[in-house]
Amino acid sequence: MVFVTGIGTISAIGKNVSETLSSLLESRTGIGKINHLQTIHKDNYVAGEVNYSLQELENLAGLKNSNYNRTTLLSLLATQEALTSAGIKDASTYRTGFISASSVGGMSHSELLYKDFLEHNPHENFIDTHYTGAHATDVAKHFGITDYVTTISTACSSAANAIMLGARLINNNILDRVIVGGADALCKFTFNGFNTLMILDKEWCKPFDNNRKGLNLGEGAAYLVLESERVVKAENKKIIAVLSGYGNANDAFHQTASSPDGQGAYAAMQKALEVANFFSNKIDYINAHGTGTANNDSSEAAAIQNIFKKNIPPFSSTKSFTGHTLAAAASIEAVISILSIQNNTIFPNLNCVTPMQDTTLFPVTSLQKNTEINHVLSNSFGFGGNCSSLIFSRN
Amino acid sequence: MVIYINGTGCISHQNTIDVDTFLGNSQITCQPLLLAQEPDYKDYVPANMLRRMSHIIKMGIVAAKISLQQAELENVDAIITGTGLGCFEDTDKFLKTIIENNEQLLTPTSFIQSTHNTVAGQIALLIKCHNYNFTYTQQGLSFESALIDADMFLNENKNSNVLVGGLDEAIQPYYDLLVKAGHIKKQEDIITEIEKNKTKGFCLGEGASFFVLSNQKNKTTKAQIKGVKTYAAIKGSDDLKNQLAIFLQELNLSINDISLLLPGNSGDVEDDKILNENNKQLFSKTDIVYFKNLCGEFFTASAFALWLASTIVEKQRIPKTLMHNNNKELKNILIINQYRNTEYSFMCVSSC
Repeated sequence: MVFVTGIGTISAIGKNVSETLSSLLESRTGIGKINHLQTIHKDNYVAGEVNYSLQELENLAGLKNSNYNRTTLLSLLATQEALTSAGIKDASTYRTGFISASSVGGMSHSELLYKDFLEHNPHENFIDTHYTGAHATDVAKHFGITDYVTTISTACSSAANAIMLGARLINNNILDRVIVGGADALCKFTFNGFNTLMILDKEWCKPFDNNRKGLNLGEGAAYLVLESERVVKAENKKIIAVLSGYGNANDAFHQTASSPDGQGAYAAMQKALEVANFFSNKIDYINAHGTGTANNDSSEAAAIQNIFKKNIPPFSSTKSFTGHTLAAAASIEAVISILSIQNNTIFPNLNCVTPMQDTTLFPVTSLQKNTEINHVLSNSFGFGGNCSSLIFSRN
Repeated sequence: MVIYINGTGCISHQNTIDVDTFLGNSQITCQPLLLAQEPDYKDYVPANMLRRMSHIIKMGIVAAKISLQQAELENVDAIITGTGLGCFEDTDKFLKTIIENNEQLLTPTSFIQSTHNTVAGQIALLIKCHNYNFTYTQQGLSFESALIDADMFLNENKNSNVLVGGLDEAIQPYYDLLVKAGHIKKQEDIITEIEKNKTKGFCLGEGASFFVLSNQKNKTTKAQIKGVKTYAAIKGSDDLKNQLAIFLQELNLSINDISLLLPGNSGDVEDDKILNENNKQLFSKTDIVYFKNLCGEFFTASAFALWLASTIVEKQRIPKTLMHNNNKELKNILIINQYRNTEYSFMCVSSC
C-alpha cells in the first residue's frame, strides 16, 4: 500500500491547496486574460496563468537572486507546501526520492534569451537550466533530497507517470518516501505549438460540450508526498488518501491524435482497476482528462463507455478551472481528486451545456456536495500515445 | 537484480552497427564534435517514413529495431527511453521560427515531434505496441532511470521483455550553444588519452543505444546486468567511495572481482577529478578502458558504455584498439559514470 501524506499545488486557481479548494467550491475559474506571457496572441486568447510574476514567485518562495526559472519556482513552491503538509522537516531520515515531470522545463526562460545568446556574447548561461530535468535537480537539492531524483517527460501524461513511478519505487522497496508530481510554466513555445495545431479555444474551454472548440493552456505545479506503510506506522502519520491503482498504456495510433475508440485510454483505466483489484462499479467519480478538444473528449468518452458500460460514474474535467497545465496536469488533478474525497464533493465541469452527439455521456456541471466519494479515477493522456490512469481512495 | 540482455542495437560515433568486427577499426577522434556514424536508414525504415523523421528519431528507431532483431522479437511488453536533451532539432527549429516570424506563419510538424517522448511513441507506433511506455529526462541519469524502471517492470511482470534505450542528438545549434556557454573543449586542447587532460571542457558526442531486457535467459542472451544505481549529488571522493562500497556489497562483489572498469571521464580536468582519484586509489590493479573518447560526452553516454560492456562480456574480448594483450576472463565489468561531477551512476555487467 502506498499512502498520500502530503499535498501541495499552485495554479491559476490558487497558490496553495486551500485557495484551490475555495475556487473549486465557488466554481471560480482561473482562466482569463493573459497578463504575464509575452505573446503577440495575448489579447486574442485566454489562459490559466499563475497570477504572479517571476519576481513575485521568488518572493513567495522566500528566495533572493535564485536565478530559478518559472518552472523551477512553481515546482519549488508546490513541493514546499507538500512537504509542510506531510510534516517533513528532514528529507534524510528515510530513503527519499523526488520525481518530477515537465514538458518544456526551462523553455519560458530560454525562449526569451535564445536570440541574444546566439547573436551576442552571452551574459547568462541559460542552457544549463533549459534542460527539462534541471528543475528537479534544483528543487531536490533545495530540500536535501539525494537518494533518487528523476524527471518524466511523456507530454500531457507526465505527472501521472511520476506519481505511478513513485508508488512502484515504494512497492519495490527501493524508496520509503517519495515526492511526486510535475511542473510546467506557460511559454510561447507551447502556446504557439498548440495554436498551430488549431486546438486552442479563444474563449473559455468547454470540455465534453458538443460545440467545444479546443483547450485553454494553463500553468502550475503540484506534488504529493507518498509514503510506505512502514513510514506511516513509524511516524504515526495522518493519511490523506491511498494511491490504490495506476495504469500506463500506449494508444499506438498517431503521434498526436487519440484513436476514435480510445484504445490506449481504455487499457490505462483497465490496468489501474486491475492494480487496485476492484471492479469498475466502485469508482465514485472520474476526474477526466477532458481537454476540450474535439478529438480527446470523444475518444475519452468512448473509452469510459467501454469500461463502465451502463454504470457511468459522475465525471468532470477540472481543466475548465485550471486550463491544461500539460506535464503538471495529472498532479494538479490528483490534488483535486483527493480534495473531492476529503470533501465528499464533485467539482463541476464548467461551460458544458450541449451534450455531445456521438455519446450519451454528460459531465457533472454543477457543484455536487454531500456525495460520498471513496474512490476517484483520474485520467491523463498525451502526445506520443501516452495514456495513464490513477485511482485515489479514502483510507 | 538479474536482468539478461538479449539484444542490443547501438549507433554512435564509432562503427557500432557492425558487431562482428567489434570496434576493430575504432579510432579516437580528436575533434570537439563527435557525430554518429549513421547506417543506411533505408535498410531499416521505409523511405517515405524516413523523410518525416528528425535525426534523433532515426537513430532511436533504428537502434531499437536492431536490438529487437537480435533478440528475435517483434514486440515487447514495455518501451522505456531516457534522453537528457530530448528532440532538440525539432525544438530548435520551432523556437527559431517563432522568433524569426514573430509567432506567425508557423507549421506544427516540428512542434509535434519536439516532445521528449517522441521516439518512444514512434517505436510504439511502428511495432504497434500498446503496452507500458515511459520516457525519462534527468540529464546524466536519464538512461539509468530507464534501466531502474525496467528492473522494476521485470520484477512486476514475469516472463516479459522490455525495450530500453538511451539516446541524445548533437546537432549543430546545440553544439553552438555549448561552445558559447564555454563547455566544449578547444581543438588545441584535445588529446587521445582522455584521463590525462589538464584542461576544461569536453567533446560533445551523440548516439542511441537500445537493449532488449528480460529475466529469462535464452539463446540470444549476451550478458546480464547485476546492478544499477544513481546518485543525484555526490559530495566528493569519500562519498563516492562509500557509495561504491555499498553498491558492491549489495551485489556480493569486491573490487577484486571487477575484471574491467569503464569510468566516465569526460576529459574535463575539474569534472574528472573525483573519478581519477577513485580510479587511482581503488582500481590501481584493475584494467581500465575509457569510453567517452570513443563516443563523446553526452547525457546518455552511459548507454553506449553499457553496450560496450555487454559486447565485451559476450565476446570475451576487449577490442585491440582499446587495450592490448588482454587474455583474462572477463567476468564483471563496472561502469562508473559521472555527468558534470554532480550526477553519478554505477552499473555492473556480468557474463552468464
